Amino acid sequence: MKLRIFVYAVLVAGCVLAIFPYFLTVLTAFKGPGQLSETMPWEPGVPPSTAAFHRLFASGFGGYLVNTTLVTAGITLGQVVFAVLAAYAFARLSFPGRDALFWVYLSTLMVPPVVTMIPLYLMMQKLGLVDTWAGLMLPTMLGTPYAIFLLRQFFRGIPADLEDAARIDGAGRVRTLVSIVLPLSKPVLVTVTTLAVVANWNSFLWPLIITSSEDKRLLSVGIALFKGEIGVDYNAVMAGSLIALAPLLVLFIVFQRFIVRSVAVTGLK
Amino acid sequence: MLRPAPRRTHRIGRGRQTAAAYALLAPSLVGVLGFLLAPVVIVLVLSLFDWKLLSTPEFIGLANYRKLFTDSDVWHSLLVTLYYVIICVPGTTILSLLLALLVDRKLRGMKYFRALLVIPWMATPVALGLVWSWIFDPGRGALNQFLGLFGVDGPAWLSSPVLAMPSVAAVHIWQFAGYNMLFFLAGLQNIPPSLREASSLDGASPVAHFFSITLPLLRPTMLFVLITNVIGSFQAFDTIFVMTEGGPGDSTEVTTYLIYDEAFKKFDFGYASTISVLLFAVVLIATISQFVYFERRTTYEVSG
Repeated sequence: MKLRIFVYAVLVAGCVLAIFPYFLTVLTAFKGPGQLSETMPWEPGVPPSTAAFHRLFASGFGGYLVNTTLVTAGITLGQVVFAVLAAYAFARLSFPGRDALFWVYLSTLMVPPVVTMIPLYLMMQKLGLVDTWAGLMLPTMLGTPYAIFLLRQFFRGIPADLEDAARIDGAGRVRTLVSIVLPLSKPVLVTVTTLAVVANWNSFLWPLIITSSEDKRLLSVGIALFKGEIGVDYNAVMAGSLIALAPLLVLFIVFQRFIVRSVAVTGLK
Repeated sequence: MLRPAPRRTHRIGRGRQTAAAYALLAPSLVGVLGFLLAPVVIVLVLSLFDWKLLSTPEFIGLANYRKLFTDSDVWHSLLVTLYYVIICVPGTTILSLLLALLVDRKLRGMKYFRALLVIPWMATPVALGLVWSWIFDPGRGALNQFLGLFGVDGPAWLSSPVLAMPSVAAVHIWQFAGYNMLFFLAGLQNIPPSLREASSLDGASPVAHFFSITLPLLRPTMLFVLITNVIGSFQAFDTIFVMTEGGPGDSTEVTTYLIYDEAFKKFDFGYASTISVLLFAVVLIATISQFVYFERRTTYEVSG
């Protein structure tokens, strides 16, 4: 009984610590400039003020939000579709060089993105893609070895008989994949999509380097530069952070059960 | 259905399969070979060139590497990175293991605790860095205001050369402890409950049970958590960029920051590539030595 109370007490404290920065972000974002100095950080501003959001949107934040949403959707779609195609080939087809190629794919997992950043920038420069949407999205949307690895493992666990039956009925490779394999692969597709959405939404270094014009700016770059421009306007900075943090938080609350389960799966190699 | 001679089918089938396979693989081949593997080769080549903005690249052999070995900024940044890794990795690992032991219980509401603890993992690092800068703000920030309630005059966390790095590292631990907890939780739930019963019948204390049974069985999970965290914290950039910009002085200037600075502020692509190669080598050595260490321990365990 004592132990149970102790466990609950520690967990409640841990959760408060995990959530507190979010709570503080919301409180600060909805305070007026006067309220910031008159109240403790953990007290709400009364009445709540949306002045910080007005300042943000006046300086182009709406556009950053739209850009980030579209770019995240585009890269994620590419990553998931191309990873599914590649994983299916590795899992189900036999062709010369398959195993060697799979090892090459896996070995690129060890390459830190910081190391590839300079060559990628120079490649994009050669292709004339610096400060373009293509330059922003192309390097990451075509091949994601980790997603391919997870999907391949899952596909190999699906009995091949199911597909053979469909193929005898005259279904092609792609139709078998779409109508038989994918419906059975929902858990791993949720995992792969979640990891991709989180990584793409949060991505910072590559967008910072490859884009310079404001009409292609993403939220992460926007708030980082915003801080520099205005010094310590914490109301506006927290409002901007809230706009960056909130969508993933909502996504998490909606898909919470799937995500917690699926994240744990990725560790079991 | 008409079938031609078996051998022929086989050969045609294989040819078709190969064509189909490479058609399916085509986009990822461009991505993996073109944008992951080729850059590694290019960075190695670039490290042998003198190439500054607007100048023509000039082959200079190992001159960049000679410069590297005497460049105190580079070695300082490497030490700063190691310091960051040495705080973050044990901090995250121990905390996440403790959390996993706590939530690995059949108590009411446990799944909500698990979910809440994972939330920080998804946070955009840049936004997170800004939120924590506000918490650490020496004047109005939540931390010092809170300390003030107890009459403690809190320090200027991020502008102190001594405290800046532990403060930045604390944010990393805060962000990833709950996430890594999930891996340990999955590992703990794979341990058969009969082992716990057996050792409690033997009269082993929970602590002894943990160190002699649970921890060795968690070894694969431990390897996964350590390796992913080491690789991740060697590459820390986003939170540092917004929290301290490498400062105060150069007290939080990690190697990734130095590379960014050399390449995209000073436009010295050749030398920045050389530092990238060094960082890559360090990450590789760190990763491989963990594999070797765990491999050896596991073999010893099995044979002994």
